[in-house]
Amino acid sequence: MTSRFAEAAVSRNPVWVQLLGLCPLLAVSNTITNAIGLAVASAVVLVGSATLISLVRRIIPADVRLPCFVLVIATFTTLVDLAMAAYAFDLYQRVALFVQLVVTNCMILARIERVASKERLGRTLIDAVGTAAGFALAIIALGATRQLIALGFPLAALPPGAFLVAGLLLALVNVLPKTGLAPVDAAPVAEDATANREAAL
Amino acid sequence: MAMRHALRNIAVLGGLTVIAGAALAWFAAWTADDVAGNRAAAESRILRELAGVDVAATSGDLLLCERGFAVLRGFGTGYGGAFQLAVAVGADGTVQGVRVIDHQETPGFADIIAAGSPWLESFRSGDVHAVTGATVTSRAVMAAVQRAVDRMAGEGLCR
Repeated sequence: MTSRFAEAAVSRNPVWVQLLGLCPLLAVSNTITNAIGLAVASAVVLVGSATLISLVRRIIPADVRLPCFVLVIATFTTLVDLAMAAYAFDLYQRVALFVQLVVTNCMILARIERVASKERLGRTLIDAVGTAAGFALAIIALGATRQLIALGFPLAALPPGAFLVAGLLLALVNVLPKTGLAPVDAAPVAEDATANREAAL
Repeated sequence: MAMRHALRNIAVLGGLTVIAGAALAWFAAWTADDVAGNRAAAESRILRELAGVDVAATSGDLLLCERGFAVLRGFGTGYGGAFQLAVAVGADGTVQGVRVIDHQETPGFADIIAAGSPWLESFRSGDVHAVTGATVTSRAVMAAVQRAVDRMAGEGLCR
């Protein structure tokens, strides 16, 4: 169980290893508060959608599984959007558009297609929470680094700074092979997709 | 068989859609009061900052009318959709401040209309130029401010 969680959060980190969810990562990591806001929103959508899909996975026909997944993700995204507008309005005004864009985050669809739609609830939850933690780790690290650097070097808080700092952090992760953070390589994703298509046929 | 498959697809997707729609409708109704309250509070804060005094955020276009000073609502359509402004105008038609109450412009491009932005401040000097890269937004805001000023002068409001 721990290894599954660690795999989802660290060795298969959605951002630093799989390079998924980069749009919100770069756009909303200008301050640590914004980063935490988006990390929480993404986590709620990911864990909520994965739980629901895992529970109803047996009744979803393979032909219409993608519309069903997207429908569930969009519903959770809208719920989070409404909740933020109601209970965290200041944060909502800063990150609203990116909360709505959580629906298009391929990290979430990937976890649902590869895990939630096949595995039972327990494993799905470990994977979803691990992936959400990995995303939170990445975006909060980037947000904190950018906010810190911006104190002496304002460019870090601007869009070009997002690319520069994210690139440097990615390079740092890549020179740490012994931590198990090093890219496993992206190939398994493609293989899985092929396997899924074959399974569906 | 193909027919049964199709019917099952329709039933599952249709059923999920109905459940999702119902959940969203219920939650939207549940949060509606809080969201409306938050928006009203944000608007009051903007108007107080603009006018320097508490302004009742009534639904009318003329929010504040004192001797030689008025706060009007301004409306327009930018790049992303309708927006709403509050414009403070003197009796002689000089703009004393512009604030955006609500907008749907693209983040980043909307920085020019953020509170305290140099461009928004430039309305006070009367020397305002459209902004490269945000032409539609800046022109629409300029036109909306101009309409508010024209109304103040044309109707001789609040002398």
